[in-house]
Amino acid sequence: MALSVLGAGAVQLPPETRQLRQEVRDFLDAERAAGTILGRPDSWLTGWDPAFTRRLAERGWVGMALPQKYGGVGRGNLERYVVIEELLAAGAPVSAHWVADRQAGPSILRHGTEEQRRHFLPRIAAGACFFSIGMSERDSGSDLASVQTRAVRTDNGWRLTGTKMWTGGAHVNDYAIVLARTEDSEDRHAGLSQFIVDLRDPHVRTEPIRLLSGEHTFNYCHLEGVELADDALLGRPGDGWQQVTGELALERSGPERFLSTLPLLTALVGQLRRTTCGPEQHARVGRLTARLSSIRQLSLGVAAALEAGRPADVHAALVKDLGTRFEGELVNAVREILPVTARFDATRGTYPELLATAILHSPGYTLRGGTNEILRGIITRGLELSS
Amino acid sequence: MSTESLLERAAAVLAGAQETDARERPAESARTVWDELRAADALPPLDTDPAALVALVCEAGYRGTPAPLGETLLAARPLLAAAGLTVPDGPLTVASGPLDARFTHVDTGSRVGPLGARGTDDALRVSGTLHRVPWARAADAVAVLTEGPSGGPVLLLLEAAECRRAEGTNLAGEPRDDLVLTDVAVPAERVRRVPAALVREAQWRAGLARAALIAGAARRCVELTVAHTTSRVQFGRPLSHFQAVKQEEAKLVEEAALIAAAVEAAAAALADPGTAADPDTAEFAACVAAAQASASVAEITRIAHQLHGAIGFTELSPLHLATTRMWSWRDEDGSEHAWFRRIGRRVVEGGSDRLWPQVTGVGGDPSR
Repeated sequence: MALSVLGAGAVQLPPETRQLRQEVRDFLDAERAAGTILGRPDSWLTGWDPAFTRRLAERGWVGMALPQKYGGVGRGNLERYVVIEELLAAGAPVSAHWVADRQAGPSILRHGTEEQRRHFLPRIAAGACFFSIGMSERDSGSDLASVQTRAVRTDNGWRLTGTKMWTGGAHVNDYAIVLARTEDSEDRHAGLSQFIVDLRDPHVRTEPIRLLSGEHTFNYCHLEGVELADDALLGRPGDGWQQVTGELALERSGPERFLSTLPLLTALVGQLRRTTCGPEQHARVGRLTARLSSIRQLSLGVAAALEAGRPADVHAALVKDLGTRFEGELVNAVREILPVTARFDATRGTYPELLATAILHSPGYTLRGGTNEILRGIITRGLELSS
Repeated sequence: MSTESLLERAAAVLAGAQETDARERPAESARTVWDELRAADALPPLDTDPAALVALVCEAGYRGTPAPLGETLLAARPLLAAAGLTVPDGPLTVASGPLDARFTHVDTGSRVGPLGARGTDDALRVSGTLHRVPWARAADAVAVLTEGPSGGPVLLLLEAAECRRAEGTNLAGEPRDDLVLTDVAVPAERVRRVPAALVREAQWRAGLARAALIAGAARRCVELTVAHTTSRVQFGRPLSHFQAVKQEEAKLVEEAALIAAAVEAAAAALADPGTAADPDTAEFAACVAAAQASASVAEITRIAHQLHGAIGFTELSPLHLATTRMWSWRDEDGSEHAWFRRIGRRVVEGGSDRLWPQVTGVGGDPSR
């Protein structure tokens, strides 16, 4: 019954993933030795390094679940999970291809035309084509169905007008998948469609929205009458809502929902090893480790469910709430374990600077990908439907 | 006979025994559970897949089954088998602690150590008290880990009739009896010297058994709470329609799902033949499950009771059958703080390079 979320069965990663995991670790060791910056919190949001992305792609680790005929290596979602959790745990700079790999690729594979697949997927897998998410707007955060951006029919396609907000990487990426209203409807979930929009189009204007740390990852993305050909439509007109909600399970349950601050814990353990560590410090490290390990098992369960084609939206919401709260709890706990003044202006990569970054990013953990308070509604609704 | 059908039959027996209150006649209740399991051909044989045993113990936790299933299936039996002792058929329990143990037949010709440090065989005479032994009054025998007379741990099997009992209970009324041993003669065939690793294994096995029980009881808390909030109407609508209630209920489900996942992962690690070569992985997973299960009890019981309102605070609701057990189980065989320290020490000693490998169970053991 209801409680299928309690005990979905443990996930045994296939034995071949051991070899794959080791290959990723060896690759990361070599990168570290070559001076690539690793070990940073929130590296999937702010670690933009297209050259690193291309080196990953050369090994088949970008878009790796895409079929071979579209340039992928056709490996399963669990293998992809192993690769991305290793990259995140190492705090590797993966933000350039993050959205392309996680959701644009799978979305185009599922909903795109054959031409769209042949055009975009090989480029994504080569680490040469980066995507942004064009969902949120000023008045549409958690309530996505209220988007105001409109696409109207023209003689040879669509004209797109509106402003997207919080569009991560719009100033550096190539495309955005934009959710727009194409028809007014009684049913607010109907009449929405998705479009693949070239961010370099002259009628697309990005305007920075700086984070409270001063960092620039977010943007306004003004769509000022962008003329789109017919082939910019992703999926069927009016199916935008179903397509977007399908993406959300991918967006919510992955290891980036509990590993964003792990590099800080890793750095802390390194610091503690050089000092005398008391039983209370051990206990606090153990508390974090136990919770981290448990959340990871739950997240693996979602990956396995998605791989098997089972619905996982309730599960995904659950992982996201637990995992992102943990990301913040970790930051607070390390302050107690080893009191150090957080300094954003300290040398990059030093412990005080990592701590500062994790603190300044902390409001985001429980907001991005769907505010946790709203996700909890999904969890209880799922319970009631099945009880 | 498939493991699955055995599990189903066993679960059916436990479901039938659910309403028995352990506080009334615990020894008799346990005997009844065992007899019914045997009659249904649902008593798991020794070579049962450990993951299935963990699942059965979860079920016992969910039902509040008044019998030492966790102690027997996940601790006493595998420890006795690992030490090469004969495993009795009936309900068993486990205990450890310092006892005065002497060789029954002292080797007077030995020149090793002081007189009494060697015996001509392993037979022992033991005295002392084992405290708060779970279900002692219902168990046929007790697997006892203690320090042997020549140093180093020994595992011995005591029969129920050999001990005097001072009965006690935990917060849920489950038997936690002191066993008083007065110069008990334990024959050599019931004594084994064991490696120190087995003492650690006994600890994490007991921790995993408690975690499995807690995971089951947590599921009961969720079920009872959802049933209550969807049926109880206040201000003209079910409690579950209040946003504030939803927020809390979701956290309750999350916490229960978290420990279910940790326990299942530990069960899988125990069952995986690959870990036979890597016992550290099974140990780490069991410690994590024990730690997280104990740690989550506070939040799970807090929310379940809060959302139940006054009725959950009384015997009118079955909620207390789950929560009072969880309040005891979280401390028996180690509180979360003890498990946290154990995990944290291992992580800090391993250093920053080994933190993530230990979490993934791949490459965490520096000796490999």
